[in-house]
Amino acid sequence: MLLKPELGLFFWTTVIFLTFFFLLAKFAWRPILNALQKREENIANALKAAEDAKAEAQRLKQENEQLLQQARKERERILKEAQEAKKQILQQAKEEAQKEAQQIRQQALQEIEAQKNAAIAQLHNEAAQLALAIAEKLIQQRLQDDKEQQALAQRLLAQLKQNPN
Amino acid sequence: MESIKYLLLSLSFVSIGFSATEKKGFDFGHLLFHHLIDTHDWHITDIPLGNGKKISIAIHLPYIVYDSEHGLRFFFLHGHNHEEKAKEAQKMGYHLDEYGHIRALPNSNKTVIDFSLTKSSLQMILVGLLMLWLFTTIARRYERNPNSPPKGIQSFFEPIILFIKEEIAEPYLGNKANAFLPYLLTLGFFIWFANLLGLTPFNFNITGSISVTAALAVLTFILTQWNGSKDYWHHIFWFPGVPLLVKFIMIPVEILGVFTKPFALAVRLFANITAGHCMVLGLVGLIFVMYLGKGTENFAGAVAIMPLSILFTLVIYSIEIIVAAVQAYIFALLTAVFIGMAMEEHHH
Repeated sequence: MLLKPELGLFFWTTVIFLTFFFLLAKFAWRPILNALQKREENIANALKAAEDAKAEAQRLKQENEQLLQQARKERERILKEAQEAKKQILQQAKEEAQKEAQQIRQQALQEIEAQKNAAIAQLHNEAAQLALAIAEKLIQQRLQDDKEQQALAQRLLAQLKQNPN
Repeated sequence: MESIKYLLLSLSFVSIGFSATEKKGFDFGHLLFHHLIDTHDWHITDIPLGNGKKISIAIHLPYIVYDSEHGLRFFFLHGHNHEEKAKEAQKMGYHLDEYGHIRALPNSNKTVIDFSLTKSSLQMILVGLLMLWLFTTIARRYERNPNSPPKGIQSFFEPIILFIKEEIAEPYLGNKANAFLPYLLTLGFFIWFANLLGLTPFNFNITGSISVTAALAVLTFILTQWNGSKDYWHHIFWFPGVPLLVKFIMIPVEILGVFTKPFALAVRLFANITAGHCMVLGLVGLIFVMYLGKGTENFAGAVAIMPLSILFTLVIYSIEIIVAAVQAYIFALLTAVFIGMAMEEHHH
């Protein structure tokens, strides 16, 4: 009895099962499976986006690092250049100062020489005038003594010859 | 005193209604079969009134009968007991068998098929409606919150749906898995829910009917043949790689194989569920056998056997809950395996 299939129940099982299969497939399984698949794709996409963002961040970081390195190098270079420029300027200034000093000294020397010469010339003049005055006085004094007068004239002449100034 | 006895007896897990007080002795086998065989009324319970009288609470289902003389007929049998109903059926020209099914009269030669929506069919519709409500609710939740994690019943069923998808459909059906997934999901959940419903009081063990399991197996059979590849039919009718003579021997073997697969499917589910119910009914029935078995009422004996009976019933019941899921899994899995095997393209 238990093992004897009933055609009626067999028929109704088929009808009921297939009816609910079609209803469930349309109103339950398709939406659920689609949603699951969409969610899976979303998760995969999100993961991929995160991965990409991470890579992008890594790349940016590297780029920054590179830029920083470059900036550092640039700074060093600029500093070095400035140092060199400073040195050069100093050198130049020194040289110029030296030149100037030299020139000034030269000028001073020339001035001194000129002054000296002028002084000497003046001295000569004054000496000559003095000598003339002395000579005059002497001449006035010693004109009584002719011999001596003669000798003195001689001597002065010799002296003048030796040193015309 | 009488009412206390009935109260105690009705505390058992499976509701066993019986009206055997007027009979001599206690025919447990008859009662067992009554519980395992589909009926035309949904008998819920009896309220005893004493003196062998009772109020029977039951839903009486209509009869739909095809006979070669009248065509389809739709009627109720109004009788209060089996004898009255049998008389009514006789008047209409049918025989009512002891389980309430309409048959042809023994000496008539007309074809009579009982197409009634029985208790089983009604409960299958119940299972179907439950599934429809449950899974459309879940589907709506998915559509409303497509990217949020599952909540409530959704989170309970999502792993099961994914299990059927990833462990049953995809390994055996490959890239065609999505096409068969709705069928496999319906099949798995239908059998599982039907099995579980059969374990609850007042309800019939739907999957314990060979007619039900056979119908499901036939659907698997049709799906398998429908999707059979050229190689599948080639294997059946001209087995490759064996001598000519063996090819001829293989033809009936292979054809037999085509039919034994769904046959085993139907019998496996039916036998497992029926066996479980027999165990539960048998263990609960021990109380009634002790009580009425010898024709005299043995109340002390019934009480004495109760703890043992209930303990064993609980154990078997727990196993049955697992079996309910396992059998649904096996049926869906083997359906996927058979279809997958038939679709496979061989490369020789």
